[in-house]
Amino acid sequence: MTQLALVIDLNVCVGCHACVTSCKEWNTSGWAGPMTDQRPYAEDPTGTFFNRVQTYEAGVFPDTETYHFPKSCLHCEDPPCVPVCPTGASYKREDNGVVLVDYDKCIGCKYCSWACPYGAREIDEKQRVMKKCTLCIDRITDMSLPESERKPACVLACPTSARLFGDVHDSDSEVSVAIREQGGYALQPEWGTKPANHYLPRRKTRIQIHEDELVRADNPLKKEQLPSLPEGGETLDDVAW
Amino acid sequence: MDRQLDSNGFQAIRSLGILMTILGTIDRPGGFRHKAPFPRPIPPCPKPPNSPQGVQPNTPLDGMPLGWPSKPDDLFVDEQGEAVRIDKAFSWEYPLSVHGLMHNVITNAWRGDPYPIDTLLLFMANMAWNSSMNTENVRDMLKDKDENGEYKIPFIIVADAFQSETVAFADLVLPDTTYLERHDAMSMLDRPISEFDGPVDSVRIPVVPPKGECKPFQEVLIELGSRLGLPAFVKEDGSRKFRDYPDFITNYESSPGSGIGFLAGWRGKGGEKFLKGEPNPRQWEMYQKNGCVYHYELPKSYQYMRNWNQGYLEWARAHGMTRYVEPITLHLYSEVLQRFRLAAQGKLPGKQPPERLRKRIIDHFDPLPFYTAPLEHKLIDSRQYQISALTQRPMAMYHSWDSQNAWLRQIHTHNYLFVNPKLAEANGFGDGDWIWVESPTNKVRCMARLSEAVEPTTVWTWNAIGKAAGAWGLSPKANESQKGFLLNHLISEELPPCEAGEYLSNSDPVTGQAAWFDVRVKVYPAGKDEPKVTSPQFKVQKKVPGQDPQRGKWQAYFAGMFRRKHKLD
Repeated sequence: MTQLALVIDLNVCVGCHACVTSCKEWNTSGWAGPMTDQRPYAEDPTGTFFNRVQTYEAGVFPDTETYHFPKSCLHCEDPPCVPVCPTGASYKREDNGVVLVDYDKCIGCKYCSWACPYGAREIDEKQRVMKKCTLCIDRITDMSLPESERKPACVLACPTSARLFGDVHDSDSEVSVAIREQGGYALQPEWGTKPANHYLPRRKTRIQIHEDELVRADNPLKKEQLPSLPEGGETLDDVAW
Repeated sequence: MDRQLDSNGFQAIRSLGILMTILGTIDRPGGFRHKAPFPRPIPPCPKPPNSPQGVQPNTPLDGMPLGWPSKPDDLFVDEQGEAVRIDKAFSWEYPLSVHGLMHNVITNAWRGDPYPIDTLLLFMANMAWNSSMNTENVRDMLKDKDENGEYKIPFIIVADAFQSETVAFADLVLPDTTYLERHDAMSMLDRPISEFDGPVDSVRIPVVPPKGECKPFQEVLIELGSRLGLPAFVKEDGSRKFRDYPDFITNYESSPGSGIGFLAGWRGKGGEKFLKGEPNPRQWEMYQKNGCVYHYELPKSYQYMRNWNQGYLEWARAHGMTRYVEPITLHLYSEVLQRFRLAAQGKLPGKQPPERLRKRIIDHFDPLPFYTAPLEHKLIDSRQYQISALTQRPMAMYHSWDSQNAWLRQIHTHNYLFVNPKLAEANGFGDGDWIWVESPTNKVRCMARLSEAVEPTTVWTWNAIGKAAGAWGLSPKANESQKGFLLNHLISEELPPCEAGEYLSNSDPVTGQAAWFDVRVKVYPAGKDEPKVTSPQFKVQKKVPGQDPQRGKWQAYFAGMFRRKHKLD
């Protein structure tokens, strides 16, 4: 069975929040929208986000590290939020393992948010329904998009490629290889929720050079086909406004 | 650290450049790679005007507004050796100020030194707030009057897309557009987006129409240039040359028939040429079809060692990117700097610095790089003010002019002063406490956030999160104004009086780069009875006609329903 998930590399995340804003940009207009804001231009603004980045420090100066920790629904394999839902609004899709909320059935009782040990769900105070990350279900299942764009908005937006997306049940997938080879871990495994999302820890950065980058494949002595040059004339150095 | 933001920044950066040169890493794999149109001749060719005769009433400026002086006679000074420009750029005070000294324009205009002005036109610079040093006093200068009751700066025009703090000081507001509503060119004539492997430039094409009476500022400039009859904007008979900005970008040439224009891609009548070629009437269309980007990849043998790469230099000359097919030699010992020093020593004929500046020129125009403490540190009580205070933009809104955006402001609603716990403990305050941060010229009240990630003799904060009450369309009680603060109040735009002058800019004495990071402060707890609000506070900025009415408590955007709230019920 397919289990789609994110793998987030804490070694690479710089805390720029591009995932946060691109998530809101896509989802407020999509299947799971709107993502309502309260007091948007006044004191103490607040609102619905499916993805937030929290920043932590560790150590004592000068041996200090700053961690940026993006946090969203982990799409657990055994999600505690699903069985507690009295109306069946909270469900896990069988075909791809994504955990979703049916707003038409949700009565806003918040049982699911009490059950979630990760604080991943947020009530929309205006619509009175529970909202959460959908892995951009309306992007990843939209067959009219080219395959390279059938990814969550946060993954596409990340400037450092800290976010990977794929099937963690496929042992050959990019995400499974990353979890296996880069020390990927799940949050709070003691709860038995089996989160599908994984994090890659801070670790020593090693330069990645592939064999073919060390040996020149082309012949450096080969005469290059160089362009023929047009006439001279004026140059940027002569530009005089 | 960004060494460019200190008054010793030029020589510090120069020493790094020389280190790279000695290591042989310039434009080599893994080293400092060039991006087109660089490398350029050293020193670069364009020069500013070099005498007051260059500026005449109703006459275009004789020369480039900005340029690269390479000898004392290139300086833009009068017979006494004093500055001609309002920002005093290219004078003996800051001879190589190739970016100008925007941070001193208001103070100089207010003082009438070197001359008073009648009109101040500001674009894309929030000079009554986070783009100025000494903000509190600069705000006063913008509205100060002389003994006759006349404004010292009589007419202020502000072009801005938002209700910034500066807009409140404007006599005339020119409502600008955002990037989404206008054409733009990231041109090879300015700062293109080139890659290491060759020249790249790009454009913006509007995706939504402008709101209300907004007009792209580029269009305002084309209009101004045409109406003033500036040579680039009118035909020989004096009639208007360009319909609008897109027309200007397509058809402008550096001189008639030169083939050099703003965009490098798809030049020539049918778009068959690049970098140099006749204007192509369908150039915008071709950019649009190609994702708004033009990228020329150089032959592999032209991609490295370009300072001395004959093939590349011939190619660059043929395509108009450089004037000479000559090796571009990096100066370990700078003859350019030495010429200014020799003049100050009285050993060179020609322009001479005023007496008060001779020592400063001799000290700082060392042809070999050296370290010296920042200027301000030598002129203040450094025992009382020992802590460096820095400021920078947060990543979540690095280049966003509109951090009042409903989503961005939830990420950073107000800022703290980040302080090492040891420094906080020594000064008697803790995490979240209200404190005063005081420099030799001003003080601000704010909240402290303890952090082990900050060096113990340095404090820092996010810049431009703090806003004036009522500005940017936010409620007067918004956290940005009540809990947010601006470090700029503490940073002086001028040095304390010294032998080199009474009113010198707080800048690098070579380049005039603003010394944002030279400020020294002390920190101490605010009194228990003091209000839990940042200081200074300013009179609430009122809404202006045409501004959005009071906004609702709820907002939910849906694409395709632009400017309208989604009906939730």
